[in-house]
Amino acid sequence: MDGHAGTRSSLVWAVNLAAALMVLLWTIPTFGLLVTSLRDSDQIAASGWWKAPFTSVQSDFVRAGTAPDQVAEGEIWVIAGNVLEQGEKLRAWGTDSRDPMAFAPGDVATLADGRTLSVAVDGAYRLTSPVEFTETRGMRIFITTLTPPRFTFENFTRVIGAEGLGQAFLNTFTVTIPATIIPILIAAFAAYALAWMEFPGRALLIAAVVGLLVVPLQLALIPLLKLHNDIGLGKGYMGIWLAHTGFGLPLAIYLLRNYMVGLPREIIESARVDGASDFQIFRRIILPLSFPALASFAIFQFLWVWNDLLVATVFLGNTREQLVMTGVLRELMGSRGGDWEILAASAFISIAVPLVVFFAMQKYLVRGLLAGSVKGG
Amino acid sequence: MKTLYASAAALALLAGSAAAQDLKFAPGADARFNWASYEALKSMDLSGQTISILGPWLGPDRDLVLSVLAYFEAATGATVNYSGSDSFEQQIVIDAEAGSPPDVAVFPQPGLAADLARKGFLRPLSAGTDAWLAENYAAGQSWADLGTYAGKDGARALYAFPYKADLKSLVWFVPENFSDAGYEVPQTMEDLKALTEKIAADGGTPWCIGLGSGGATGWPATDWVEDFMLRVNTPADYDAWVNNTLKFDDPKVLAAIDEFGWFARNDAFVSGGAGAVASTDFRDSPKGLFSSPPQCYMHRQASFIPSFFPEGTMIGEDADFFYFPAYAGKDLGKPVLGAGTMFAVMSDNPAAQSFIEFLKSPIAHEIWMAQTGFLTPYKGVNTEVYGDSTLRKMGDILLNATTFRFDGSDLMPGAVGAGVFWTGMVDYAGGKSAADVGAAIQATWDTLK
Repeated sequence: MDGHAGTRSSLVWAVNLAAALMVLLWTIPTFGLLVTSLRDSDQIAASGWWKAPFTSVQSDFVRAGTAPDQVAEGEIWVIAGNVLEQGEKLRAWGTDSRDPMAFAPGDVATLADGRTLSVAVDGAYRLTSPVEFTETRGMRIFITTLTPPRFTFENFTRVIGAEGLGQAFLNTFTVTIPATIIPILIAAFAAYALAWMEFPGRALLIAAVVGLLVVPLQLALIPLLKLHNDIGLGKGYMGIWLAHTGFGLPLAIYLLRNYMVGLPREIIESARVDGASDFQIFRRIILPLSFPALASFAIFQFLWVWNDLLVATVFLGNTREQLVMTGVLRELMGSRGGDWEILAASAFISIAVPLVVFFAMQKYLVRGLLAGSVKGG
Repeated sequence: MKTLYASAAALALLAGSAAAQDLKFAPGADARFNWASYEALKSMDLSGQTISILGPWLGPDRDLVLSVLAYFEAATGATVNYSGSDSFEQQIVIDAEAGSPPDVAVFPQPGLAADLARKGFLRPLSAGTDAWLAENYAAGQSWADLGTYAGKDGARALYAFPYKADLKSLVWFVPENFSDAGYEVPQTMEDLKALTEKIAADGGTPWCIGLGSGGATGWPATDWVEDFMLRVNTPADYDAWVNNTLKFDDPKVLAAIDEFGWFARNDAFVSGGAGAVASTDFRDSPKGLFSSPPQCYMHRQASFIPSFFPEGTMIGEDADFFYFPAYAGKDLGKPVLGAGTMFAVMSDNPAAQSFIEFLKSPIAHEIWMAQTGFLTPYKGVNTEVYGDSTLRKMGDILLNATTFRFDGSDLMPGAVGAGVFWTGMVDYAGGKSAADVGAAIQATWDTLK
């Protein structure tokens, strides 16, 4: 690299710019989701999340008070109140849906039956009538306002307060932890055997594992559940651990085997010469050296099982006691879906644990991702 | 002896009150309910037995169905495990094929139930249930036909019990916007078309139409077409269309599609212009009714849509509905399009058949009626029980229907009713001709035979 300082700096500049762009591109959707999770459903329907931080002009209507709110002032009856919420500024108002900006703040409108309505700049309205009010539903006052940005934590409190979320959280852990550890245990043994033990058909076996990587798991749902039912396993934790183990094994074996095969042959052979058995080599040498690969696969598997809904609903069931967290969050969306604000808040709550796992283990992830890609070392 | 009786009575009272705490309406308290039918249920002793039910209801709907099931549990001593799934259609197939079906499944679409019946996964309901339906439901024979399928051996039997109906032939509007502008609720289809033209001429936009629904985009348009099939053609034509003896590219069908086009393909008639119809989400489309100034004056959608109205909207005051009218010039009566859920038994558990008996009791209907989102064609219930006047009004439309027809797309084979019919209507809204769309759908249907 010496002597290429000039080219290097310009290249670094380009790389940094490209990296910054990529990061921006990748974080925009997440950021949008975050902003959406802090808005209520009416705001989401009215405007895009990118408009959330700005003051906006909004047209809406509020209802005036009803008969019980009236007070007598001499000859006339009056209903008074305020049309504005905290921070809003009144621009115009009206009483007819076809002309909602008919009056300026401070104007007095003359309505039918001798009634008058005035709305002041500060939003205070005064509805007067020569006879007593009888309505049970207040009249509409259409207002056009300048509304400051408004955010709410209500979506989050709704999700966190959801019935059964605590139980579901525990269920998810009960599913996820064994479903992460079991495949690693099995795959580590298998990977060692495929990498360092000589036996006939080894290459074919490796090819078969690689082939299994492309089999979609949806294909196996019905036959696997049928098998579980036939052998009396039914629906339950045992079944889902086995299912996740099965679905995770091809990738685990493939990843670990490629990593292990790259470990220096000299160490293993000198251990053999010293009389170490295969199990001793595996336990004393291979396992400690393979830790980055094990950790990175653990993250993959943990994230996938944590976020899974399909396998859980098929192998664990749907009742309240069995639901995993994704199941409860989906329930919050209702029978017909479409509650974006809940979806967004749920997403942020459900990624909390995977984020902790990721940051705790991320230094291994990068090393593990390179597993098998660089020979020797 | 006397003390024994007394303590037994006290015990019974205690047990009764303990169970009653879980019940939404205390048995015997409100005279509008048919408590005699509840007491009659107690003759079925199912203590210690368990029934599992899988259905499509989640969230608030789940709480509602649980409130009904509580009465079954309290009366019979059985335990009911209800679980809901938003991917019910896939889940029930997986469970059935793998051999671990629930005891009772709640089908939102009769087509899927018919499929499973043909594969032998459903158990026929007890003899006489079809006669019971024909006698006790309004338009009873059409309801019984909905649940009658061919079994594995080809013999037709009643496999599914309809419970809970949805009404589709409704137009939603904001009464205050109508009175501001001086519009009247139309009584005939001719009036409705005249009103549509009048609103457009006044500078307003008459309709909000949205077909977007994720993977199911297009289904709201199939409801429009079905409603018009019943308004320009006879019920017999509708039935023939549903089982494809009347071809999809038949001029009668194309006429119904073009009736939808009259509304949806005119830029002046639809909020956002005709181009926005296919891309607007059906859950967002009714919100235009409530904006200021109103983006539209009318919205045709089924009875469930108020759950997507802005928060705090009071039905009957802030928003109301009228019957999607029929042509005065055609003698086709007052056809009503609807949908409903079907309960089917999937295991040999005898308690499951008893559960179907429970659905025949008025109290099973009245408990949900008294809350929200439930309509029933059962003539034996007291309509006074309906939780609000809106539901009662809808219930009356259902009970007074001269013709009731089930959502046709739900009855067609999945590849058509939940496939090309949807995408075809999106194409139609996008400007393709009715003849092209009809021919394309018919071509797919032909490949299924």
